[in-house]
Amino acid sequence: MSELVAIFLGMVLINNFILVRFLGLCPFFGVSKQLGSAISMGVAVTFVMAIASLATWLIRNYILIPLDIEYMHIVIFILVIATLVQIIELFIKKTNLGLYFSFGIYLPLITTNCAVLGITLINATQDYSLSSSIVAALGGGLGFTLVLAIMSGIREKLELANTPKSMKGLPIAFIIAALLGLAFVGFSGII
Amino acid sequence: MGKFAKEFAKGLILSNPVFVLALGLCPTLAISTSIDNALGMTLAVLIVLLGSNIIIAAIRNYVPNITRIPIFIVIIATLVTVVNLIFHAYLPATYEALGIFLPLVVVNCIILGRAEAFASKNPVIHSIADALGITVGFMLALLMISFIRQVLGTGGLSVFGHDLFSLPVLRDHPIAIFILPYGAFLVIGLLMGLFRRTGVMKSE
Amino acid sequence: MAAKKSTLKNAFPIILLTIVVTVCVSLLTYVDRLTRERISAQEDEAVKTLLSEMFPEMSRYEFKDEIYTIYSDGDRLGYAFLAIGKGYGGDINILVGLSDETTVKGITIVSQTETPGLGTRIAEPSFTDQFAGLDISEVALSRDGGRIDAITSSTISSSAVVEAVSKTAMEKIKQLKGNE
Repeated sequence: MSELVAIFLGMVLINNFILVRFLGLCPFFGVSKQLGSAISMGVAVTFVMAIASLATWLIRNYILIPLDIEYMHIVIFILVIATLVQIIELFIKKTNLGLYFSFGIYLPLITTNCAVLGITLINATQDYSLSSSIVAALGGGLGFTLVLAIMSGIREKLELANTPKSMKGLPIAFIIAALLGLAFVGFSGII
Repeated sequence: MGKFAKEFAKGLILSNPVFVLALGLCPTLAISTSIDNALGMTLAVLIVLLGSNIIIAAIRNYVPNITRIPIFIVIIATLVTVVNLIFHAYLPATYEALGIFLPLVVVNCIILGRAEAFASKNPVIHSIADALGITVGFMLALLMISFIRQVLGTGGLSVFGHDLFSLPVLRDHPIAIFILPYGAFLVIGLLMGLFRRTGVMKSE
Repeated sequence: MAAKKSTLKNAFPIILLTIVVTVCVSLLTYVDRLTRERISAQEDEAVKTLLSEMFPEMSRYEFKDEIYTIYSDGDRLGYAFLAIGKGYGGDINILVGLSDETTVKGITIVSQTETPGLGTRIAEPSFTDQFAGLDISEVALSRDGGRIDAITSSTISSSAVVEAVSKTAMEKIKQLKGNE
């Protein structure tokens, strides 16, 4: 149990997906201008990460390794993720059209989110058990959502501030991410 | 020939993948801790981007719309796996240094982005120019960031095991910020701001 | 005739996808065959280098149940195994060498992702040399009554190594004694 807690905390705070591992940056800088959409995005990504971790764990341990075709993992993993995102997209379209439109293009883009393929690769390299993989995915997703939410709150305020013209938009967002990363270093001593 | 040069040049500054298009940020920030790593990643991206642009441009008229994305993904993932295996076997140091970011080239927005936006609509020869231009632009951006981070963060520069130079004071007291993760954000933010300020790239 | 033509047209996407997939899978299988031997040879080389640096007189080694037994021709020089410490930035992979069932031959930090300039100093001889020749019971930080001095400002990295070495050593020794 303590190992699962360590993995979880490690993923959320200490080795945060965005600030430390540099995974999931594209949506980070693209979506995060509104708290609501930031959180929706975060939840969607976390969900995909968890299911993808489950699916890829099963495939890796029951198909790839027994058949000695582990080198196929990159191709298989990304296809699984792409399929998963397609299914989720169809599901959301059928059940909550408003949500579907508010996500816009960012929903299919979850397929190319480094965080999703990233967690499946991390689970594989670390050879995590099924429970550890899912905990890691949930932790990673939560960390991603957390930073996205914080960032969107800050950027909402930033719209009203007097930023120098050349720094407006992406440059200042990067600087803020740097400061956030610095702040998060403080969590390192937890475990 | 003019068009070829034009497509090539576009990738360097106007459509610089990192500083302008803001694509492929994940590997850029993670890998830019040393020049060696930057070059290794560039090689990987070059092979995959060139390969995928060529293949996709070659079959672009035969691919039906429905299966477009799955086919692109399979092609790119195959190229990445090939590079992954080849690097593991023949360039082990680079393979270790790039770590998880080598397989992650698969979801590097640059590759799929260029496939969608360019290679699927343009002839092979122009797609080659596009691939080369974008890769060089990517390489320049990576080298710039890595140079700053490595010199300030470790006090000197060493490429492939050869020490190029060491700055006297910095070698003993390197500014650790730059080599740490948040330093990457700092450097790229400042560089972007600088490019916009000096007019090399456009502000928002 | 018209029906046949339209079925072919409808089936074309799937056919193309199947062709692409088949070509790709074949390519991957080919490259895998090409590189597999070289990759595992490299890993063996890497292990051999690490072990012979720790046991200079080594002529060969055996690997069973996760423990390396080191030999110099007929004589057993000692044992070695991997210990994994939970460091500040992630896992720290440590190769631990034992000259016999109670004494540490030395340790080598195989890989780590600690803070540059601080935690990364666990890989320096000034830290790792402290382990050489110690009795397993002495492997602990000085503040805890042992003989290892932690690196200033890197207590987490230092204690991760110490804990991993001590705990894994005791496990492996128990395993060795059980096998005898």
